[in-house]
Amino acid sequence: MKKVLRLFVSLFLICIILICTLPFAYMILMSLKSTINAYDFRFSLDTMSLQQYRKIFANPSFVRYFINSVIVAVAGVFLTLFTSCTAGYAFAKLKFKGNDKIFLCLILTMLVPSEVILVPLYIVVRGLGWVNTFKALILPLPTAFGVFIMRQAMLAIPNELLESAKIDGASSMKILWSVVLPLVKSAMLTLSIFTFLGAWNNFTWPLIITTEDALRTLPLALTTIKAQYDVDVGLTMACATVTFLPPFIFYLALQSKFEAGAALSGMKS
Amino acid sequence: MKKKKGLSVLVPYAYITPISLILLTFVAGSLIIAVCFSFTRYNIITPAKFNGLYNYQKLFRDDKLRICIMNTLKLTVIIVPLQLFTSTLFAVLIAARQNTFLGKLTKAALFIPVLSSSAVVGTVWKTILNGGHPVVRAIFGIFGIDPTMLLGSSESAIVTVACIIVWKGMGYYMIITLSSLMSIPDNYYEAAKVDGANTWNQLTRITLPLLKPTLIMNGFLATVSAMQIFDMVYTMTGGGPSMSTTTMVMYAYQLTFKGSKAGYAMTVSNVLMLMVLVIVLFQQRFMRRDASEI
Repeated sequence: MKKVLRLFVSLFLICIILICTLPFAYMILMSLKSTINAYDFRFSLDTMSLQQYRKIFANPSFVRYFINSVIVAVAGVFLTLFTSCTAGYAFAKLKFKGNDKIFLCLILTMLVPSEVILVPLYIVVRGLGWVNTFKALILPLPTAFGVFIMRQAMLAIPNELLESAKIDGASSMKILWSVVLPLVKSAMLTLSIFTFLGAWNNFTWPLIITTEDALRTLPLALTTIKAQYDVDVGLTMACATVTFLPPFIFYLALQSKFEAGAALSGMKS
Repeated sequence: MKKKKGLSVLVPYAYITPISLILLTFVAGSLIIAVCFSFTRYNIITPAKFNGLYNYQKLFRDDKLRICIMNTLKLTVIIVPLQLFTSTLFAVLIAARQNTFLGKLTKAALFIPVLSSSAVVGTVWKTILNGGHPVVRAIFGIFGIDPTMLLGSSESAIVTVACIIVWKGMGYYMIITLSSLMSIPDNYYEAAKVDGANTWNQLTRITLPLLKPTLIMNGFLATVSAMQIFDMVYTMTGGGPSMSTTTMVMYAYQLTFKGSKAGYAMTVSNVLMLMVLVIVLFQQRFMRRDASEI
């Protein structure tokens, strides 16, 4: 009886694996077909070709999308790390007037639902004259969540360590850089991964704030390429695969960090 | 000496300035703009004109808005229980075989939809369902479903979109649940086994009660994100067919960029903001009461 149940559960798990992965397998298979037989599901290797990938990378605006995505995601990670580490350090280890109150105010901004303020955010950014600039894509990326994570990580560092560095004559900037940051590397990595993922996959904000091809990012290419090539399935799937792969490769390399980060981000409220 | 000390008082403020400026500009600024402009007539191009409570009165006469509120609530009501059920079920099943190859593989597979862009998920599913591929037809045929009708008819589109959103998110909630499952001490289960409790009893008497805070948390996160769905709907149905999947965020988007009624769009955003706020307050109460029970 127990063995039967165990077998049943195993079969069920295999079903889950299939349900989660088959659409992506379909995406990759389709992207390897030339367009005429994109719905032809024969698995013979000789009909597979990288033709679709050659086609999209020959398109200068697609290459532009790709470069833009990389710029936005990488700059977003650095900006988030910079703002979160400095603020986290101040809130965790420095004494100043209003420490707790300012921190609470920052944390309260996490309660503001991000998609709900899209229209007003657009008007704010437009008022600053930032429509179709990288500033508009990158600057709104950091959130109070990063500050929260870095503060939590830094609270665990013993004060004696910082005090002895201070006695040695280190400035607070130096203490942050050479004592604190090396100790919170793990939290920084987790935060970077999640910022990268969020920035890379972001669809709504770039859609709203960019109108020129020169500033658009990869997820948007999926909607524009379709219009350009009149529903070319193979081409769309190649584009989807290119959008999908970087986070996927990151995930394979840093699986445990991804999971820790997901578990952490669930505890934010 | 004194001057130096005077300056060093400012150092901590310098550290918190960058993030404060960002949040002040983008979050607080947006909130203020949303409230101010909701009392105006504004089309993003010409300057805003104050027109008092007109937009708020309009809310009650807007049949389209009523449909969008219903769609948003429908999505929430379908997504949240389904999301909680699947993620908890998978977390419990995976926890029992954490160290086996199959367990690890399932955990990894569940995470793949989580880390892909909703644009990718939307496009791929749309292609699969609309393509009419023989293999896809055959698979859905087992359940007696015509895949091309799933997103194409106004009755089933919203359910289909909801299911795909659950599919995308279940790995995320599963990981949160799994990590709190792992923190339940083993000796609880050992003691239960000594008392002769079977697997089902252990699940209902130990695991689920101890998971309760996590489940409430998950339910809350799922609710807040379900209420502001935009990107998945945009890429899969564009709000159609015949407004059957237009959510409130999507309606605000359309009002601003297609209907040039940004002032009214912000009134709609504010309504949604209030709805979410009510849920947040409700959840806070719920969590606190739950914590005091223990």
